[in-house]
Amino acid sequence: MDFEPKILGIACNWCTYTGADLAGTTRLKYPQNVRTVRVMCSSRINPSFIIRAFQLGADGVLVGGCHPGDCHYGTGNLYARRKLAITKKILEFAGMDQKRFRVEWISASEGNKYAEIVEEFTRDLKALGPQNTFRIEKDSRERI
Amino acid sequence: MTNIKQIEENLKREAKRLLESKEVSVVLAYARGYDEHHPLPYAARTAGEVGNLIFNEYCTYNLARYLTKYPPKTKIAIAVKAADSRAVVQLIQEEKVKKEDLVILGIPFIGMKDPKTGEEIDQKTTCHMANPVLYDILLGEEIRDAGAGSPYDVLAELEAMDQAARWSFWEKEFSKCIRCFACRKACPMCYCDPCFMDASRPRWADKSPTADGNLMYHLTRFYHLAGRCIDCGECSRACPMDIPLHLFHKKMAKECETMFGQAAGMKIDDKPVMVNYGNQDSDEMLK
Ligand code: SF4
Ligand code: SF4
Repeated sequence: MDFEPKILGIACNWCTYTGADLAGTTRLKYPQNVRTVRVMCSSRINPSFIIRAFQLGADGVLVGGCHPGDCHYGTGNLYARRKLAITKKILEFAGMDQKRFRVEWISASEGNKYAEIVEEFTRDLKALGPQNTFRIEKDSRERI
Repeated sequence: MTNIKQIEENLKREAKRLLESKEVSVVLAYARGYDEHHPLPYAARTAGEVGNLIFNEYCTYNLARYLTKYPPKTKIAIAVKAADSRAVVQLIQEEKVKKEDLVILGIPFIGMKDPKTGEEIDQKTTCHMANPVLYDILLGEEIRDAGAGSPYDVLAELEAMDQAARWSFWEKEFSKCIRCFACRKACPMCYCDPCFMDASRPRWADKSPTADGNLMYHLTRFYHLAGRCIDCGECSRACPMDIPLHLFHKKMAKECETMFGQAAGMKIDDKPVMVNYGNQDSDEMLK
């Protein structure tokens, strides 16, 4: 069987989550590899979530937020941009392939952009193969 | 460069004056440990205790670590080397201490040595600056020439590795960690109480040092210190397992400087980089 990557999606309530909804309601076809968690704002994302996702076996993590300047709360995504930029550098310097972590600004009206990005990310991850860098053994996963 | 004995004399003289005049209630400096090569951090509270103070090339500890332990408004004099002064500046930026409560005794010096190995540390594990960035009293002459080289030169080898090699390097290093938390204790910027590692909900890591917990601890700590670490190298010197934590912190400091155009702890009116975001930031940083 072909390798189907597991992707954790973390989407902000106001833009990307609504954008993903739109992709669904307009019946766009895109791969079903993303499991999405909704957060109120991209700045709510604790970088440890991303490390944990990779430990629990995610092959990729996709974070989606509002376009800079469009944050529902004014500046949440500007803060998130710095946080996630550092997260990316940390993953990279630790030895995680940085292509496995992606941050995108997707507005509520960009259902097609959402579908395209998921498509592209899934394709990239298929090419990379399973993520085994941070992944921990199945039976020890119960502990955490 | 002022002779180290002279610095010690100046330190004692200023400490005595500050305590006698009641300008401060405590002087944070160093005293002899079990021998000359193993000094200890020391808080002198009376003019009589000033006799115990010492300063030599093994006094590496960053005393800014103790500033946040005192109740607000305590008047404190603190002896700082260059990197330590940056920690004080960073703590002021973060509103953890107030400049008006401090008398900063600056020590311009190059040539500190690791108490464990006797090796010179400036070039390898610290920010490689000679003069404190902020002080009220300078305990020696300003140094004009700190020597060539950037504090990030030591990163060359790790930066040249491919990803898989870097992961096997860190995986091996982190697997040595016994979770004694000496790194956290030594660090002037690790003042959170409770630390995320002590939380039970969510429980980020097992209490015992498992590989996954070590990874979570260290990567999260690197994140929490990014843009705040002032590159004193104390975390690595404190580590009983000799894990080169400073290399990761240095890399993050370098990245933050490149991305946000500001090094930690240089000026008191800078805003810490994590709250200094704005529309001017570019999406390039996420690539
Ligand atoms: S992380 Fe290490 S080098 Fe950085 S401030 Fe803390 S103790 Fe110093
Ligand atoms: S000092 Fe070293 S062994 Fe102790 S917790 Fe820190 S990294 Fe681990």
